[in-house]
Amino acid sequence: MPECENPLWPCAMTGAAACLAGFDGITVIIHGSSGCYYYPTTLLHAPLQGTFILENEVIFGSEARLHEVIGEVQGTGKRIAVVTTCVPAILGEDIRSMLSSHDVILVDSPGFSGDFGKGYHAALSVLAPETDPSVAGINIDGVSLFDPFYRGNVREVIRLLARAGVPVGLILCRDRFDRVRHAAPFTIGTDGDLASGVGTFLGSTLGFEALSETFSQIGHALECADVEPVLADIRHEEERVVQACDKYLRRFDPPSVAIFSSFSYAAFAARTLDRYLDADILCIGSRNGIKEDVPYPVETATGLSDVQRLIGNCTPDLVIGSSFERSVKGEATFIGITPPLRGSVRLASHPLAGTEGVLFLIEAVLNACMDRQQSPS
Amino acid sequence: MPSNPSRSNSCRFEGCTLTGALTVTTSVRDSVTVVHGPAGCAHHNFSLLHSTGLDHDCITVPHILSSGLLDTEIIFGGEKALGQAIASAVSRRPKSVFVLSTCIAETIGDDVTAVCGSGWDVPVIPIPTAGFLGGSFQAGVNNALTTIAGMAQPCRNDGGINIIGEKNLEYEVEQNYAEVVRLLSLLGLPVNLRFIHNLSTAEIMGVGKASLNILRDEGVAGVGERLFRQCGTPFIPAFPTGLLGTIAFLDRTADACGVQSRTAVLEELAIQESMLDDFSDIAGSCISVDHLMNGCPDYSFIHDVTEALHISVKPEGTRVPLPVSAPVGTAGVRRMLHRWRRAIHA
Repeated sequence: MPECENPLWPCAMTGAAACLAGFDGITVIIHGSSGCYYYPTTLLHAPLQGTFILENEVIFGSEARLHEVIGEVQGTGKRIAVVTTCVPAILGEDIRSMLSSHDVILVDSPGFSGDFGKGYHAALSVLAPETDPSVAGINIDGVSLFDPFYRGNVREVIRLLARAGVPVGLILCRDRFDRVRHAAPFTIGTDGDLASGVGTFLGSTLGFEALSETFSQIGHALECADVEPVLADIRHEEERVVQACDKYLRRFDPPSVAIFSSFSYAAFAARTLDRYLDADILCIGSRNGIKEDVPYPVETATGLSDVQRLIGNCTPDLVIGSSFERSVKGEATFIGITPPLRGSVRLASHPLAGTEGVLFLIEAVLNACMDRQQSPS
Repeated sequence: MPSNPSRSNSCRFEGCTLTGALTVTTSVRDSVTVVHGPAGCAHHNFSLLHSTGLDHDCITVPHILSSGLLDTEIIFGGEKALGQAIASAVSRRPKSVFVLSTCIAETIGDDVTAVCGSGWDVPVIPIPTAGFLGGSFQAGVNNALTTIAGMAQPCRNDGGINIIGEKNLEYEVEQNYAEVVRLLSLLGLPVNLRFIHNLSTAEIMGVGKASLNILRDEGVAGVGERLFRQCGTPFIPAFPTGLLGTIAFLDRTADACGVQSRTAVLEELAIQESMLDDFSDIAGSCISVDHLMNGCPDYSFIHDVTEALHISVKPEGTRVPLPVSAPVGTAGVRRMLHRWRRAIHA
């Protein structure tokens, strides 16, 4: 791997922790140093545990320390999951064998093995969610504690499913652990990059177009579903968006936009702004690779120098990204959809998924662009 | 702090050497810091430093370059990747490059010092860090400060004061600095430089100009001793804390610099009296403090405050928050009392 200046995306260990810590009923132990523990703990706002290994354990082995910590956290009725970090992973210890006397989930996901998504999926594959034919409803996947919009996404999709009279199945990954083997037969997604592969996938909830298709699919798949109220809502809210964007375009030119996010969110933002605001999508810098063809310039941008280069090359009016992008946006205006979103207070649960997600995105973009247009130069 | 089950060995919780060192090296604004390890280590720390910078209303970002170790380098060695990363850093024309190792690089046994000594066009300075293998967060801070102190050159004393080893991640770092500057100004003493807080490589060379070093706290005593040996600069071991500590600080600093403290002390006592008058509404209250919950290991600073305001401390009293570190100067006490008042009147 070439060197990377100011890497912008977390490692596989953090991804695994984000997946596991989303389940009530799992106690997650980060098997590694305090440095590897503190970052996911502060990022995920989850009560993780750690082995906090020292040099002594590197030399003489970490088995005793691992058993010590497991002994301290067991007995709560929760299943224990151990996530390995870089150093334990290369010590050559047979951690699986060490843990054979405990009923423990082991996820081997050291930071050097890849990025956040790789660790998230590694943990998910160990949990091995299964569908249960006796469970009715729709699962929601693509949920991650790392995502500042996850809580809003879950609430919004639950609301839409309730509107259609459809029970909620398993939420991956923000649910009770004892439900992992009882997923519903069908799934809809809030973030395609974190798709679970559990059940029959009926579609995405990002954007009006995808949402309409997905709920149409739900209507076909589930006899109990009455999706017409949701489809009516989508039409109504889409009309509101059209009117708001049209009003903006009567006074101002469309924004030229640079978008930096995970591929799924970036593509959603690009399509939405293109469709409703005739925005010029100058570039997409994907944090996690290019997952599918999109009609916009797109490249992988995992370091801050990549972001600076792209912004410098295209001089956008509007930058969409994380607080990293906000720091290097220059004269452009900014809205945040990508973690981390530091330096501002965020208490409300805004979504990006569902109808409310589109409304939030458009509202944020229009307000930011109007503030920029109206501010004295 | 998040729950953690095991408190049996406190040294396990002292943080990462790499993070400590990065809080220092990234404050040298015309340098690049190379982190020799997986990209995740650099990301974790970059994100932390960036977040802290935003809290301090600082929108500049640190220059951190990761050697990006993956499975291949873990197996066959990472020195080539480190060399590439240093070359990339040097190509950006910084005035200095700092190279920090990680626990993974230490475990696979890369010779970081040798790679740094390969004849680069700018100073490439290895700093002993190795994640948890290198010691604690504070050890990383000290290693970085001590190593960088070695760059100082002999220079003429100009009577200023150096501020040494500020906690750059501390939420109140600028407020604490401002309070020390205010106290020094009462004595007519200027600041030479903040070692190391937003300095250029050239400015580092001038650390020996000061007539006195004021250390942030006793955790950086080794740095003070190093600068005393190297530049002959005496030091005061910590920022002033509490009301009496602030007055003592004025006396001690004045003594060290050969100036009179009487006027400054009288002025500060008047400021303290006025400040305490502002909190007369909580005089006579009963409070409790939970040092385990609040994390502040040093209780001494609250005695003179509670005594001055006739506040009693009892287990059944209103629980009041304590700052993570002892409040610096009179201004620090004032901010603490505002939080106490909020709790008492809640």
